[in-house]
Formats: sequence, structure tokens, C-alpha cells
Amino acid sequence: MNTILQFENIVRGYKKEENVLNGVSFRMGQGEIVGLLGRNGAGKTTLIRIAMGLLYPQSGRVSVFGLSPTQDPVAVKGRIGYVAEDQVLPPAATIRELTAFHASLFPKWDPALERELVDRFGLRADDKIKSLSKGQARQVALICALCHRPELLILDEPAGGLDPAARREFLEASIQLLNREGTAILFSSHHMGDVERIGGRVVLLDQGRVLLDEDLDHLRENVCVALAPSAAANTRLETLPGYLRSRNAQDGWHGVFRGEPDDVSLRIRQSLGANNVQCARVPLEELFVEMVGGRQ
Amino acid sequence: MQLFVNPAGELSIYRQIMRQITEAIAGGRLQPGDKLPSHRDLAEQLVIAPLTVKKAYDELEAGGYIETQRGRGTFVSGTVPQPAPGNTGLRDAARNLLSLALLSGGGMPEAIHALNEVQKEMLEARGERGQQEKKS
Repeated sequence: MNTILQFENIVRGYKKEENVLNGVSFRMGQGEIVGLLGRNGAGKTTLIRIAMGLLYPQSGRVSVFGLSPTQDPVAVKGRIGYVAEDQVLPPAATIRELTAFHASLFPKWDPALERELVDRFGLRADDKIKSLSKGQARQVALICALCHRPELLILDEPAGGLDPAARREFLEASIQLLNREGTAILFSSHHMGDVERIGGRVVLLDQGRVLLDEDLDHLRENVCVALAPSAAANTRLETLPGYLRSRNAQDGWHGVFRGEPDDVSLRIRQSLGANNVQCARVPLEELFVEMVGGRQ
Repeated sequence: MQLFVNPAGELSIYRQIMRQITEAIAGGRLQPGDKLPSHRDLAEQLVIAPLTVKKAYDELEAGGYIETQRGRGTFVSGTVPQPAPGNTGLRDAARNLLSLALLSGGGMPEAIHALNEVQKEMLEARGERGQQEKKS
């Protein structure tokens, strides 16, 4: 698969001696969908801004379509669609004026797709941006990011602040586009249900590093969570095969392990001598909490 | 046939789709030769990624439940595969059923009652389908 986006050992901080990103590496292929997950402050937006050439990494290398986003910004941005987390659109402009402006910037702008999306979202082209709801403003930002038919779409918290119905509409539009265009998508989100729907691969950032980088279905089926009473925590959990993470909880400890729930539970029982260990496959939301929760 | 997915469910989404389709085949709501929606249409209908539906279809096809005819679409297979002897899935489901019955204060009679009820539902669904087909 052709690599379209590659991060190599990216380091970036805003304060001295405190790196937000501390050696992040992963790559994305053509048409691939990657969900970028992590707690607030894990570095998702910083990483996205580095890919867009809006920030320099202090060390490491980023390449988009084999080019450097800071050295070849025009070539790179012409092939990327981007919706920022806090996308600010000019309030006094109408939708029509805003899309006309974008059309003038992108030679590949597709007016037919623009009309279709404006219709699908039920927007009126003569409405001013300031009169739109948050959800509608997101839709306008998406139209501006899509109509030059990018090969890579980068969405930073696309559903941030939207109500569940608006989020679902946004998701529906994204999935129809996926169906038709096969665009690669890198999106960050805190809505694990949305991540499960969009699927693809999951990259989980934690403390400036990639904690997990795995196909979502694979993750859901090959990783399980074990719950055990605290009395069993006397042996070093880290030494058990398949160990990923553990944390103390009110009712004992919770651990994340690779493997079948039955095998993992047997392994824990044998090596720790604990009897009431429960192991189960869990939805992404639970997995997220177990992987990065309880340590801040 | 109506499918639904629950992103917060215990099974991954493609497995949920596989299960619902195999259950519909087992229960007679889907019959040999029935056409399934294209993976793209189903993806839009369920608001999930097209690749996820494709994965479910691929696995069902590998298992012999459905078959793709080039340019025509995806259909329920004429011969539905027989489970292998000593099928562990069946045993697991039985264990699950019996545990639930015991937990709710019942036992074997309640589990068998539940099985009978489900069988009745499936037969009714099959019967309704038969009637609809006679009319049309």
C-alpha cells in the first residue's frame, strides 16, 4: 500500500523539558482510515498540526505524499482536506462567498459536489456564517475541506460539541463519501461509538507516545480486560505474557491483556493464585478507560 | 430484513452483522436465493464503514452462508453449511442459556421452555414469509 502520511519519531513540546509528543511514529496508507485517540492533552491536535505544516517538530520527520508539509505547503495542502477542532469561519461571509473563496484557491474544486453537499445538509447558500448553528458551521467547514476532492481528509474532533443527531448526520455524510471516494481519513475523536462505526485502525496516544496501533476489529477480539480482587496483586503483573496495562481500582485491580479471555484468566489464576478473576472482551470505550485512565 | 448494530456491544460490529445474518438464515427470515443489500448500501443504512460490512460479507461467504455473483449482487447460498460435529459454539450457547435460567431461579425446564418459544417465533416468521410469497 502506498504510504501517504508518515510520522517518524516526532518530538514536540511547548515548554522546556516537557514534551507533548515524545517520539511518535506511525504511517497511513492510501484509502486507510485511522482514528487518533487519547486523553485531553495527549498530543492529538499537536500531531495533526504537524502533519498540516502548521507546527514544526523539534525533532523527527513528517512526510505527506512523500513531501514535507513545511517545505512544500502548496503541493501538500492541495491534496489534503482539513477541519480543525476550533475551526473559525468568517462570521460576516455567506456560505456562497466562503465556498467561492475556497474554489479560487483549489484548481481541482468540484462545484457539482459543492452543490450536492449544500443540498444534502439542507444549507442555504445565502445564509451568513454567524447565523448558523454549531452543527451547520461544521458542515460548512466539511464542505470547504472536501470539494477539492482531497486524497487525505484530516478531521480534528469532527463531532466536538455537536448533539447526537448532528453527530450522526455528520457521520452519515462521511460514510457516504467513504463509499464513493475511498478517501483516506485521519480523525481524532473522544466518541468511541463513532470510532467503532467508522472502523479502520486505531492509534492511541498516551504520554507523548503511541500506546496502541492496531486494527479496530483485531483490538476488539484479541485484547481483553481482567478484573481481580486486590489480594491477587502481590505478584508482578507486568511479567505475565500479553500484559499491556493495569491500574488499581476500588474493587481490586483491572488489567488489559492480549489473548482469549479464557486463556488470560487461566494464566492469571495460575500465576497469581487468585480464584475470582473475570476476563472479558470489552467495547472500545471501556478499553480506552482501562488503557489510559486512572493515572492523571 | 432489518439489521441493527450497537457500537457499545460486546461483539465487534462486523461480528454483530455476521450473527444477525446467520440467525436470519437459521430462522428462515432469509432463504436460499434471497438477495442481500450491497455492502455499500448496508454501510450507509447502518452508518458504519463500508469495509466493516465487506469484512462481514467476506467471512460469511468464506463460511458458505452467502455467495457473490459478479455483477448481480450477494445472495443467500442454496445450501447452508452444516455445523461440524462437536460444535463448540453450540455448547457455549447452551451453557449460556442454562446459566441464565439457573440465575433467574429456574433450571432445565425454563431453558427448554425458552428454546420452544424461540422455535415457535422462527416457525411463525417462516410461515408469514410463506404466506407473503403465495400472495405475491
